Amino acid sequence: MGGEIIISVNLEQDWKDIVHRCFRCGYCKFTADFFDFNCPSYKKYRFETFSTGGRMWTIYGLISGEILWNDQIANVIYACSTCGNCMENCRFDKFKDFLVDFIEAARKEANLQGFCPEKQKALVERIEDTTMYNPYGDNNSDNEALKKEYGLPDKASWVYFIGCTSNYRQKELRDATLRFLKKSNINFTLVDEHCCCSPIIRTGQTECVNDFIKYNLMKIRETGASKVITSCAGCYRTMKSDWRKYDDFSDIEIFHTIELIDDLLKEGKLKFKSELEQKKITYHDPCHLGRHMGIYEIPRNILKSIPGIEFKEMERNRGNAWCCGAGGGVKIGYPEWSVEISKERLEEAKKTEASLIASACPFCATNLNDANKEFDMGFEILDIIEIIDKLDYDIL
Amino acid sequence: MNKENILEQLQNIVGKDFVSNREEDLYIYSQDPGASLSRPVDFVILPKNTEEVQKIVVYANKEKIPIIPMGGGLTLSGLVIPVKGGIVMDMKRMNEIIEINETSRYALIEAGVTTGQLLSYLNKNYSQLQPPIPDSPPSATIAGNVLIHGSGYLSQKHGDHGSMINGLEVVLPNGDISKFGSCALSDYWFSRGPIPDFIGLFTSSFGTLGIITKLSLKLYPKPKFRDVVFGLLKEIDDIPKLLLEITSTGLAEDILLGMQDKPDWMKGYIFVMTYITGDIEEELSQNMKILKKVYRKANTRFMKPPDRMRELYLEKPIFAAGLADIRKGGGFEYVGAFMPLERVPEAYMKAAEISRKYNVPPTIGSRLMSGTHTIIVFFSYAFNRADPKDLENARNALHETNELALKLGGIPWKVELDGQQLVLEKMDPNYKKLLRSIKNLIDPNNIMNPGNWEVK
Repeated sequence: MGGEIIISVNLEQDWKDIVHRCFRCGYCKFTADFFDFNCPSYKKYRFETFSTGGRMWTIYGLISGEILWNDQIANVIYACSTCGNCMENCRFDKFKDFLVDFIEAARKEANLQGFCPEKQKALVERIEDTTMYNPYGDNNSDNEALKKEYGLPDKASWVYFIGCTSNYRQKELRDATLRFLKKSNINFTLVDEHCCCSPIIRTGQTECVNDFIKYNLMKIRETGASKVITSCAGCYRTMKSDWRKYDDFSDIEIFHTIELIDDLLKEGKLKFKSELEQKKITYHDPCHLGRHMGIYEIPRNILKSIPGIEFKEMERNRGNAWCCGAGGGVKIGYPEWSVEISKERLEEAKKTEASLIASACPFCATNLNDANKEFDMGFEILDIIEIIDKLDYDIL
Repeated sequence: MNKENILEQLQNIVGKDFVSNREEDLYIYSQDPGASLSRPVDFVILPKNTEEVQKIVVYANKEKIPIIPMGGGLTLSGLVIPVKGGIVMDMKRMNEIIEINETSRYALIEAGVTTGQLLSYLNKNYSQLQPPIPDSPPSATIAGNVLIHGSGYLSQKHGDHGSMINGLEVVLPNGDISKFGSCALSDYWFSRGPIPDFIGLFTSSFGTLGIITKLSLKLYPKPKFRDVVFGLLKEIDDIPKLLLEITSTGLAEDILLGMQDKPDWMKGYIFVMTYITGDIEEELSQNMKILKKVYRKANTRFMKPPDRMRELYLEKPIFAAGLADIRKGGGFEYVGAFMPLERVPEAYMKAAEISRKYNVPPTIGSRLMSGTHTIIVFFSYAFNRADPKDLENARNALHETNELALKLGGIPWKVELDGQQLVLEKMDPNYKKLLRSIKNLIDPNNIMNPGNWEVK
C-alpha cells in the first residue's frame, strides 16, 4: 500500500561521524523554488543558527567540544518541528535522509546531559504515569468501553491503534474511524494501547521507549492480529519507521486508514452515495505522512473521488508543504509559535478559496484548529475519515 | 562601554529578537565552510531596513565597534568572519524586491534578496527576463554576489556580475545614506553613469567602505531554448586557440571548461561546455552544428553529454553544492583567479601539480568572461573539516595557488586575508596609497570590516 521505510543511521555512533558533512549551503531553508523560506524555525528566528545547516554545525560543535551544552544551545536543537523540509531540499545524497535523525539524536544527547527543556519533559512524566500512559495527562483509556460499544472481539485480524491524540483530543476522528472500520467488515479490535512514543522519540527522551513498544506489540499480538491500522500520521510514522529500530516485528504490518480507503476505492468496494456539502476543499500534507513516509497521492486520490468536491491545491504541497507547526515537540515547547506556524498554513489555504481543509493527522488537525479559532479564520478542518463519515456510502 | 550596554543599545534599534551575543549564534557566525580558521564575533544583528542600518552604523562609529556586513555567507574565504571582532550584520531580513523595470530591464532590490528568490520571482512573474545568477547555492544574496565580482551564465556575453550593477544605496561609516549611479539624480535606477563612477569603490572591497542596502541589477532577455555543446580537449596548450575560435562565432552564452579526474573518462582531458541559446529550436540546432565544427577544427572531440549531466548543467543553480561534497567532509574552498587567457595552460598544469603535492585530486574549472577579455580559473580544494590536518593542507594549497595566480599575471578573486596581503605586496605602490587614502577618508575610525584590504 503506502509509505516506504526510510533508511536510518546507527544513531548511537554513526551520526557523530558524518554530521560535519553539512556544508551549510542553505538549500535546507527554502521552498522547492527557492522563493521563500520553508523551514519554520529559520523563518521565525532568522539567525543562521536556526537553519538546519546551523543546527548541524551546532551539533558538530558539541561533538567536537568547541561548544558545550547549555539551555540556550538546547533551545536551538529543540526549536524545530522536525518537519523534514530540510531533507527534501538538501543536495547531499546519503546524508539528507538523516537530517531529522541527527536532530533527534542530538536531542537524545541533550536529554542525557540534562538539558531537555522542562515543557518537553512533561511528555515523559505523563506517558510514564501509570494512570495515564499518554502525553495529554488524561486518565488512561483501556478502550474496553469502546470495544463494548462497537461490539469488538478480543481476537481479530486487525488492531485499530487509535493513538493518543485521537483518543483524548480528537474523539470525533476516532469515532468516525471506528464507524468506517465496522462498515468495511474488517475483523478488527482495540487494545489497551499506551503511547506509541512519537512525542518522546521526537524530543529525544527515549529511555522508556523500548518498554512501551514491547508492551504495545504484546497487546497487539495477544489479539492474534497481524495488521495494525491507525488514523494518526504520527503513530503511523513511529510504528512503521521508529519501532523497527527497537524491535523486530516482521509478523505485523502497519497501515494508515487512508491506505485502506484507497484500496477499497481501487477495488471498487467503496461507493459514495451522496455529495459533500462543502464544494471547495484543500489538503494539508502532514509531515509525518508526507515527507517522513512519502505518502502524497493517496489522500488526494481519495478526496478527488468524493462526489461534489472541487479539490484545490495549496501553493506549497506534497514535499514542499508548509508544516502545521505541531510536531517535534514544538506544540508543547513553543505553543504560541506553533499556532503562528499553523496560521501561515491557513493563510495559504485562504488563497485557494477552499472552506474545508482536509488532513490525515489528528495532531495537524488540532493545531490547525487552534489557529483557526485563535485567528478567526473561518475554516472547517477535518480528517479525511471525518469527511467520509459525513457522506452516505456503502462498502461492498 | 561594556558588552551589556552595547547589546542594549543595539536592541533599542532592531528589537530584542534580532540582535544576539548568545554563544550559539556567535559560534555559527565565527566560521564559514571554507578553510579559514574561526575568529571571534561579539554580536550578530539582523536589521530590517536602511534606517536601522544607519542607526547601527552611527552608533558603531561613535563607539568604534567594527561592523562586518554579511549576505549569504558563502564566499568560502572568510570575508564575513570578523578579523577584529565586532558586529556581524546579517542582511537577509532586508529581502524586498522593490521594483522590476521591464523596459529598462533592471531589478531594484534590497541587499538581503537571495539569488534563489529573485530567480524564482522572475520565473513566476516576468518569465521573459533573467537575472545574472552565480554557480553558488540559492541562499547566496544578489548583493553579496555582485559586490565580489561574481560571475555566472551570462558572463560570457555581459561580463562579471559587478559590471551589472546599475546603482547602489550605501550607508557610509559616518551614517550618510548615499546613492550611486543614475539613482543619485533620477527616479530610474537604470545606469551607472555618465557621472563619476564610485560604484567600483564598493565592489571587491569586501564591505570595508560601507554597507550596501539597495541595489539595481541589470536583467536580460531570456532565450526560449538553451543547450550545452560538450567536448573534450586533449592538449592543454590548445585551450586559448579553442576559446578564441568559439568566441569568434558570437554564439556562446557561457563557456565553462575544466579538468578533473572523475569520472574516469574525463581524466587527462579538458572538458569544454559552451552554452548556446535560441528563440526557435532550429536556431539552436544550427548553432550546435556550427560549434561542433569549431570544436573539431580546434582538436576538440565533440561528445553528446550523458542526459544526467546535461540536465544537471542546464539547471545551473541546482548543481552548485555538489562540487563542495566531493570529499564528503563539509569543507570546500577554491582560489578563483581572474587570469589572462594566454597564461591559462600553464596555470592548469602548475595548479594540478599543487593539487597532487597535497594529495587532492586536481579539480580545476574556468569560465570565460566578456569574450576572451578575462577568464576566471577555479582551483578547488575540498576537505574534511573534522580533520585539522586536512584543513591545514587545504590552506597551504590555497596559499600556493594564490602565489601561482599572481606569478602568472592573474588576480585572486574574493581572496582571503593571507591572499589579500599577497595581492597588496604585488600592487602598484600608488594604487595602494590611494586605497589607503580613500579608506581613511570614508572610514576614518576603521570600523568597516577592518583587517580586510589592510594596507600596512
